[in-house]
Amino acid sequence: MKILVVDDSRVMRQIVIRTLRQSGYAGHDVVEAENGLRAVEMVATEKPDLVLSDWNMPEMNGIDALAHLRASGSEVPFGFVTSEGSEEMRARAAAAGALFLIAKPFTPELFDEALSAVLPRA
Amino acid sequence: MKVHLPVAKEVRDLLSDLLGKPVSIEPAAPLAPGPKRPATIGVYVDDSLRVAALICFDLPLSAYAGAAIGLVPPQVAEDAVTQGSLPEVLRENLHEVLNIAVSLFNSAPGADHLRLHAMHPAGEPTPRDVLVHALTLGRRTDMRVDVPYYGTGIISVVQTF
Repeated sequence: MKILVVDDSRVMRQIVIRTLRQSGYAGHDVVEAENGLRAVEMVATEKPDLVLSDWNMPEMNGIDALAHLRASGSEVPFGFVTSEGSEEMRARAAAAGALFLIAKPFTPELFDEALSAVLPRA
Repeated sequence: MKVHLPVAKEVRDLLSDLLGKPVSIEPAAPLAPGPKRPATIGVYVDDSLRVAALICFDLPLSAYAGAAIGLVPPQVAEDAVTQGSLPEVLRENLHEVLNIAVSLFNSAPGADHLRLHAMHPAGEPTPRDVLVHALTLGRRTDMRVDVPYYGTGIISVVQTF
């Protein structure tokens, strides 16, 4: 399966990819985008099976990217990995169609908890 | 404004999770950034853009935390400490550390929502008003942090009003 990791911080994309591996999801194809606008383009061209996205990013933030995807008919499974972990943000994420929200800093266990329902271990 | 001033355990847990290593923490004398004591300062604002808090890392901790989060070799961090400034990769990594550290303020129930507004890296000029805030006494926590495999430095969390 293919996973699109979206974050404007290069080091955070590395950490997300490392944590995927540590939580038992090594072996999937991973592609990266540095903002929401690029993520929307890459959902069309790369056809990922899951999007893991930051919330606050330049060009287009994560919640706008999700809204854009859903408005254009994309049903790609989408989860947030963000430092915005408040109940209000979780509610907004769910209302926009996100499957989960993982708050930074995160652990491999938190990743596994969120991903086990949507992603097979590879 | 209701800003949560994190206790030592919250800082230790955050840095341990973020750097992927069990950091240890002990109390330290207040960090006073200035020309002889370069420090990285993260400026946090509330939704009205009022400066609510700062997080300061002295130069060694700036280098060690910036390196540890990205698995950068310790020698790169040591070189930065010797040279008195941070290379781009450590600066970029440290920005992410300070960005995520906002959860120290936001995870407390009822606390104001803050976000990272700016980062002034160690070794570069710091705006005077930010320096003045950093020298606030009283509403602050100063801690010595040991990052395994890298080294020890000081972190200060300062409430600015």
